[in-house]
Amino acid sequence: MPPKSETHAASATTGGTTQFDPSSNSIDPIFHILKVLPFFFLRPPRLRLKLPTFTLPSAMTVYSLILLTYFMVVSGIVYDVIVEPPGIGSTQDRFTGAVRPVVFLPGRVNGQYIIEGLSSGFMFVLGGVGIVLLDLALDKNRAKSVKVSFASAGVAFVVISYVMSMLFVRIKIPGYLR
Amino acid sequence: MVAKTEKSAVDLLKSPGMTSLFKSLKLKTKQQELLIRVTILFLVYVLAFITRLFSVLRYESMIHEFDPYFNYRVTQFLTQKGFYEFWNWFDSESWYPLGRIVGGTLFPGLMVTAYLIYRTLQFLRFAIHIREVCVLTAPFFASNTTLVAYFFGKELWDSGAGLVAAVLIAICPGYISRSVAGSYDNEGVAIFALLLTFYLFVKAVNTGSLAFALASAFGYFYMVSAWGGYVFIINLIPLYVMVLLITGRYSMRLYVAYNCTYILGMLLAMQIRFVGFQHVQSGEHMAAMGVFFLMQVFYFLDWVKHLLNDPKLFHTFLRITVTCAVGLGAIALGVGTASGYISPWTGRFYSLLDPTYAKDHIPIIASVSEHQPTAWSSFMFDFHILLFLFPAGLYFCFKRLSDATIFIVMYGLTSMYFAGVMVRLILVATPAVCLISAIAVSATIKNLTQLVRAKSKASHSASGKGTISKASSKGSLDQSLPFQRNGAIALLLGAFFLLSRYAIHCTWVTSEAYSSPSIVLAARGAHGNRVIFDDYREAYFWLRQNTPPDAKVMSWWDYGYQITAMGNRTVIVDNNTWNNTHIATVGRAMSSYEDEAYDIMRSLDVDYVLVVFGGVTGYSSDDINKFLWMVRIGGGVFPVIKEPDYLVNGEYRVDKGAAPKMLNCLMYKLSYYRFGEVTTEYGKPPGSQILYLLGMGLSPASTSAYISMVVVKLIFIKNQIWTKS
Repeated sequence: MPPKSETHAASATTGGTTQFDPSSNSIDPIFHILKVLPFFFLRPPRLRLKLPTFTLPSAMTVYSLILLTYFMVVSGIVYDVIVEPPGIGSTQDRFTGAVRPVVFLPGRVNGQYIIEGLSSGFMFVLGGVGIVLLDLALDKNRAKSVKVSFASAGVAFVVISYVMSMLFVRIKIPGYLR
Repeated sequence: MVAKTEKSAVDLLKSPGMTSLFKSLKLKTKQQELLIRVTILFLVYVLAFITRLFSVLRYESMIHEFDPYFNYRVTQFLTQKGFYEFWNWFDSESWYPLGRIVGGTLFPGLMVTAYLIYRTLQFLRFAIHIREVCVLTAPFFASNTTLVAYFFGKELWDSGAGLVAAVLIAICPGYISRSVAGSYDNEGVAIFALLLTFYLFVKAVNTGSLAFALASAFGYFYMVSAWGGYVFIINLIPLYVMVLLITGRYSMRLYVAYNCTYILGMLLAMQIRFVGFQHVQSGEHMAAMGVFFLMQVFYFLDWVKHLLNDPKLFHTFLRITVTCAVGLGAIALGVGTASGYISPWTGRFYSLLDPTYAKDHIPIIASVSEHQPTAWSSFMFDFHILLFLFPAGLYFCFKRLSDATIFIVMYGLTSMYFAGVMVRLILVATPAVCLISAIAVSATIKNLTQLVRAKSKASHSASGKGTISKASSKGSLDQSLPFQRNGAIALLLGAFFLLSRYAIHCTWVTSEAYSSPSIVLAARGAHGNRVIFDDYREAYFWLRQNTPPDAKVMSWWDYGYQITAMGNRTVIVDNNTWNNTHIATVGRAMSSYEDEAYDIMRSLDVDYVLVVFGGVTGYSSDDINKFLWMVRIGGGVFPVIKEPDYLVNGEYRVDKGAAPKMLNCLMYKLSYYRFGEVTTEYGKPPGSQILYLLGMGLSPASTSAYISMVVVKLIFIKNQIWTKS
């Protein structure tokens, strides 16, 4: 076989190798045999494969993934998986016999129902996002209306998140700050 | 007269001599800033110390909980007998009849530290008891941690962030919970060592200095000597190096820092007998070794690249080398694991990666209350507003990525995940959360104060540059400026309000939740007066005074350390829990019928059995409550003990409807022995806690199963008794 088509075939089959000609300097006889022998019988197909290139994601993509993970961890997802509490608790009204839902697991600090964990975790992440929005609002390259809306949204998020978190804690731990 | 008296103090101040004195005292801005910083750090140092003193002020200066009693006993031995005796100590007073090689099975850092402090104080002629030194070691090291946090924050961001980090970590409840005065446990010292090691390593990576890398190795040695949690360091640092390599931040500084730290740290860690050769044999330490070899490969490739000067040839060479290196590493790891030279991950650490593992396979690990997974309220209790500031701080770190911020992000994320798996590990996450939150606070406040101070600068620049102004930004800046300034001031006040609420929360939590000695209990009496129960210590003292010196006491493993330390008697099992079968034997004895239990106790040479019972008052962490764990652990080794035998329809009951096996087992009989007689006294609620100490004077000549038991029962009744009818 003429050398040129061999090198073309070799580089086509082994995807992303470089284009230089390895046979020019090699003195390895096995290498030369391997270059020639199989192609008496086989015809390599013309592929257009490329090795997947590995590009690192941008910092903000990673940050949003991390925020999602943080939300799950702080909502107590490991507690939910291991202890398997119900989504929401229930108690029976003594007089009417009706079943009323109980959102916050009473009596212990280290115990929760699933929904109360998720809602508290959401409040924490909301507070964090609020502070991030406040910082974004100070970026000089945005339109003024966008900056104002970011700033007001940021303040609103932080205030809501703090007030709701305090409310949740007061419900959960009756003797809080007394 | 009037003219003379007019020469008052004000005139004195205005005289030329005084003004020149004041002028020389007037500091330049840099010196003012230094003075402010030093003052703040000094106040934070004192604050961290005194906020941990609640229980010393309320009760007395004593050691809390269970584990610290062992540490205290070991420290006493060290001060009395010296270091070599301590290093070679074989303790025959615990784990009878096996004994315990104390010198080789503990982390000596804490005891040696307290011993050195004690000797220093004695050298300075302070006649202080070793107990006081032990009680106050943890707050002292907490204060030192705040200083390290300041320097670390300065390294990561700037000195403002360092100051905020120092303040946050001084009062953070997550750290206080394990470092109050009296909590003489490994973590009190270990967190200081952890943060110091990390700070020195990051400084070494930032500067490439050999001195800091070696200092970091010595910090690692201190950490290894102090706590088993050093495994976190030896896995986080290689993970961090991997992330830096992947993101293309390989540099000579990283090479110097990691190699020196790893090699010297590993060699130093092998000096601790408990750790031994684990750094080359255990699966948990293999990541560090793998990354070490990977660094050498990177260095080699860098050198080849420098030699070749041909990018394409180098590219192929790179592929071949990396493939070979990874392949060789995988083969070596496989051969090592298969041949058993590299031991697999131990249960304790494996259950961190797979949280469901302990529940199914290792009940002893699953039974410890500190090892339960974390609910949101525990996070809130221990962190408060740091939970909002943490994601904001992560954002700022991602905005300004550098080698140092990548480290703190990784430390924060891994430690938060582990904190979610196990409540106890909130302690390890606390420094990271405080540092990242400090970055958020510092960056936000800096932005806001820049807005507040921007007015004068903007007006100057507007007048200077004249018409060169972008309509959108400068014009709008001028337009909304007064509004912006007021808004920024309001936001600053809001930020200070949040931080003050944090301080109030932390102080409240410290005072109410984390300052209880656990060995002395307090409750509210009938008239709202405070009632103190010292039953535990009185019971141990009774043991010390009224039993023969070679008596053996059997109890559940929780109380082992306290019995040996305060009661000075030999115990069968204690909190070290190193021998599961021995504990299962005790569990089996507690949950068998009396005759079977008697045989087991005879085989262990038991003279006394100690049982904690709180049924009269509703003290909830007594042995009846822990009984199912005794059944599970006993049943794990002896299949003759089956948990369903003790339950009624899957429910755990102790009243008359309980399962027959439950009603007749040793634990139940001991707990409720002559309980009916106790109920004849009428009293007002709430009552007291009762500890039954039943000593079976077993005469060796007797052969029948129900030995003539000379039951010595001692009831400590503190106040009125509340009876359950």
